[in-house]
Amino acid sequence: MSKLLIFLTLIPLLPILTTSFSPENPSGRRVLVLLDDLALKSSHSVFFNSLQSRGFDLDFKLADDPKIGLHRYGQYLYDGLILFCPTTERFGGSIDLAAILDFVDSGHDLIIAADSNASDLIREIATESGVDFDEDPAALVIDHSSYAVSNTEGDHTLIASDEYIKSDVILGSKKIEASADIAPVLFQGIGHSLNPSNSLVLKVLSASPSAYSSNPKSKLSNPPSLTGSAISLVSIVQARNNARILISGSLSMFSNRFFRSEVQKAGSPTKHEKSGNEQFLTELSKWVFHERGHLKAMNVRHHKAGEADEPTIYRVNDDLEYSVEIYEWSGASWEPYVADDVQVQFYMMSPYVLKNLSTDKKGSYFTAFKVPDVYGVFQFKIEYQRLGYTSLSLSKQIPVRPFKHNEYERFIPAAYPYYGAAFSMMTGFFIFTAVHLYSK
Amino acid sequence: MARNLGGFLVLILAISICEAASIFQPISDSHRSAALELFSPTDGTFGSLEETYEALRTFEILGIKKRPDISTASCQSVSETLGSSTSSLKDVFHALKVNNILKCKVNDETFQGVAKRLKAVLNDASSLLDFYYSIGSLVLIKDQNSEVDVLLHDADGVFRSIKALSQSDGRWRYSSNNPESSTYAAGLALEALAGTVSLASSEIDQSLIVTLKNDIVKLFDSIEKYDDGSFYFDEKLVDAREHQGPLSTTSSVVRGFTAFASVTSGSINVPGDKILGLAKFFLGIGIPGNSKDFFNQIDSLACLESNRQTRPCWDSSPTQSAQPCTVQVSVPLILSLPATVLSLTKKDQLKVKVNTVLGSSAPPLTVKLVRAFISGTKDSSVIESLELKFDPETAVHFLDVLPKSVDVGNYKFVFEIVLHDSEDKNVYATGGQTQVPVFVTGLIKIDNAEIAVLDSDHGSIETQKKLDLAEENAVSLSANHLQKLRLSFRLATPRGNIFKPHQAFLKLRHETKVEHIFVVGNSGKQFEIILDFLGLVEKFFYLSGRYDIELTVGDAVMENSFLRAVGHVELDLPEAPEKAPRPPPLAVDPSSRYGPKAEITHIFRAPEKRPPQELSLAFLGLTLLPLVGFLIGLLRIGVNLKNFPTSAVPATFALLFHLGIAAVLLLYVLFWLKLDLFITLKTLCFLGTFLMFVGHRILSHLASTSAKLKSA
Repeated sequence: MSKLLIFLTLIPLLPILTTSFSPENPSGRRVLVLLDDLALKSSHSVFFNSLQSRGFDLDFKLADDPKIGLHRYGQYLYDGLILFCPTTERFGGSIDLAAILDFVDSGHDLIIAADSNASDLIREIATESGVDFDEDPAALVIDHSSYAVSNTEGDHTLIASDEYIKSDVILGSKKIEASADIAPVLFQGIGHSLNPSNSLVLKVLSASPSAYSSNPKSKLSNPPSLTGSAISLVSIVQARNNARILISGSLSMFSNRFFRSEVQKAGSPTKHEKSGNEQFLTELSKWVFHERGHLKAMNVRHHKAGEADEPTIYRVNDDLEYSVEIYEWSGASWEPYVADDVQVQFYMMSPYVLKNLSTDKKGSYFTAFKVPDVYGVFQFKIEYQRLGYTSLSLSKQIPVRPFKHNEYERFIPAAYPYYGAAFSMMTGFFIFTAVHLYSK
Repeated sequence: MARNLGGFLVLILAISICEAASIFQPISDSHRSAALELFSPTDGTFGSLEETYEALRTFEILGIKKRPDISTASCQSVSETLGSSTSSLKDVFHALKVNNILKCKVNDETFQGVAKRLKAVLNDASSLLDFYYSIGSLVLIKDQNSEVDVLLHDADGVFRSIKALSQSDGRWRYSSNNPESSTYAAGLALEALAGTVSLASSEIDQSLIVTLKNDIVKLFDSIEKYDDGSFYFDEKLVDAREHQGPLSTTSSVVRGFTAFASVTSGSINVPGDKILGLAKFFLGIGIPGNSKDFFNQIDSLACLESNRQTRPCWDSSPTQSAQPCTVQVSVPLILSLPATVLSLTKKDQLKVKVNTVLGSSAPPLTVKLVRAFISGTKDSSVIESLELKFDPETAVHFLDVLPKSVDVGNYKFVFEIVLHDSEDKNVYATGGQTQVPVFVTGLIKIDNAEIAVLDSDHGSIETQKKLDLAEENAVSLSANHLQKLRLSFRLATPRGNIFKPHQAFLKLRHETKVEHIFVVGNSGKQFEIILDFLGLVEKFFYLSGRYDIELTVGDAVMENSFLRAVGHVELDLPEAPEKAPRPPPLAVDPSSRYGPKAEITHIFRAPEKRPPQELSLAFLGLTLLPLVGFLIGLLRIGVNLKNFPTSAVPATFALLFHLGIAAVLLLYVLFWLKLDLFITLKTLCFLGTFLMFVGHRILSHLASTSAKLKSA
């Protein structure tokens, strides 16, 4: 009976235990997938299966399903959103542009796949994320020099690109190691450009210098708005709250057909048995859903050299030791993060000390330095921003005081003449009093 | 409806992009490898019997020999299901289907028992699914065991009660108390009715079959169509209970319809192009990623194809066995091109394959190229009616050489299949004319390429250089804002005609990475662009300096599309006025934004300079000299302490007074050594009071003795 009671009381707690997007567990498991057509579920199944096999709970819905919603009773129902509905003009239910932006603003992840004839709604979501799709609705990315050789597709809109960002954290380290023989990634869809002043958005897959974005069926009279390697095919955004967004101009690049198709880039003699799409998109989805590159820092400690307790104030010229632990989320657990470029700043208006931290390769970073001879309110600051990693921004305030009056040096040899003078006078005075009073 | 429309749009889009218009490839080896991937057993089974059947059936249709061995586990589950009296109808049905393929050892009694149970269910069945499963199971038992009596004595009655669920538009309801009608259910009903016909112990009332044929025709009126000529069925009401996608709906109808057609004689009035369209729909899906869809696709295609063979009809009842099974549903033939990108330079042959949907060979026929025209221009055909040769070894229809009138370009070829045997015309659906987009590519000759700097006023040539666009060039030019730059070249197709590529861009890139792109236009035979720098000064943001020149020429049919560095031009532009536009911000390399910063170490204040210790000690000695001099002076004067009081009380006070002074002085020394001001002042307070008291006593005593002395 009592067991049953315990069980019943635990039932309402189960959802809280299992599904929570928390700093302790950054890769949430529930993902809403919005589709134009449920047939996509089958035609893009390899991509979905790879997500499901990594433990994601995918909820497939039609984009205009009147029952869909992202949150209920002030709680988000999902940790991630995949928009595979390029032609949807309006979402069903309570989802609209503002709801999606709020979803991202509250730290959730988003994957958008557009395609030619992408609707204004999808374009707007992309624009809000810092990415501008080509405005011409009929435009496709065309590349007459690095297209994928095919017997049946001759209009050179099927692009084989291997110009992706060099970053282990975003694309996984496997690809870089096997760099001798990388299969290009197939892409067919629309291109976009990034605003150069936006530092949060990154080009992951870009077009070759000979590419351009235009309607393949009509003649060109004006230069196309997007040309060359300025065209981004796939981009990612990492917002300031560490929400991550993946934007692709092609929905078909996620499809089983592209995943399985063999690929030969024009002008290259090697024919790859399988395109790079599967690896590229699987690794990228790992990044987007925080299975890689998500850092946390904890246990910030500092103390005077030779002591163990953290003081409330430092004196100028003290020797101090600083340490912090940094871990990376691997999708299932926190692993020690190993890097040699973590830096700490001792900061008041501007950094007085900026030092690289040494690491023991087990997640702990430490250093020692001398407090500058300037007093005031300082901060220990770690501003760690690296390509593809979530940014770490730690600061801990600590005041620094000058010497007390009795902490200065007391017996300075250079002052001995003064001391000598004073004491000799005092001795003389003592003798003089006696002599003066009692001498006859 | 709007939802569906969105879905269709995507599918149309996917098909129009992915398949490049209407080329449908028959089932090939990629399907076979995908099937092995999709249907992979876990722990020796496929899960449910339904999934087992789907896997086995798919392997059977595709002729996969190396299928995973699951027969022991599956046969066990088949006999368990058939032996148990509580297993659901659906499971019994699928168990029998599995048994049909695996030929497990099931004894006659089991079949008898199941048949008895099924007949009992059939007698008081009311829902369509009950009919479907029980009749389907009985038919399967009949095929597997001839000993068991499965014939229906009241076939007409069963037929009528199923027919009672039908709607006027050819669709069906699941049960009499469910008003929603569904196309998916229509397929199930047709299959059940076909089973009823084959199980009938006596001839079914022909009028019933005639009305049913009309129903089928009505059902085909509701067929929907894509732009590329494929047809499919979908539910009208998407919110219907258990919504089925277009694929499962269509395959259900195809299954039911072909099953019914195979058991009845006489023709059903369904046009061949709709059958072909259905086949195209299934082929247009490509390779589905889900085992259910995969099975539906392959099984439906097999249904469409198996009409060709006079397959053993379901019925072998004595009344109908006399008539051979005639074919009522035409078999679709699929015309496909292994390659639609043909190189003129490599002299590629135009090859056409005609197969059935599952890839088996077609009857003797001729493929005619009715006409070909440049896509976009409907009227002017370049080829008129050519007959393709047939190579029996590879089963390929081919055209040796493309006619002279075909130059590089983007064509639409229209093919027609002509069957040799007029008998075949009733059997096969060829779908009339098939339009296929074909890209004819070739190497483009580039010549007369030159670049020149012109004087603006006279147009006279200042410098002119020849270019070889087959390789990189490194021309170096210089110009000022009063001059012009001219680049010209000529392109010719392998047939010697002028070629106009889709992409002909000239790009000027300044040292600061600011880029300018110009489209090179063609004037008659020549491609030429003249850049008048005077008009471009503002566009160039008044940036003088080195501009790299790049030329990109490309087209879908041009095999040697290129991106070449031509060289550079040193531009001398006037100074920018104040209000000149600024160049746009340039993309920053992300890696530069994220690197570690340079270390900063604090520079501490340098300590003050101090004299060496020896000097200090020397001066210490000097400061002590006056005291020494004073002491010596005192000795020389001959001081004495004769005036010290002799009586006890004043002597004590005198002693205390001097001890007090010594204590004060000692306090000063201690203050220097370790004490702080507060302790020093406190102690000094006591000492001072004490000193004042004893000082007053001794000094007044001394004063009185000296006064006495004076007065004395």
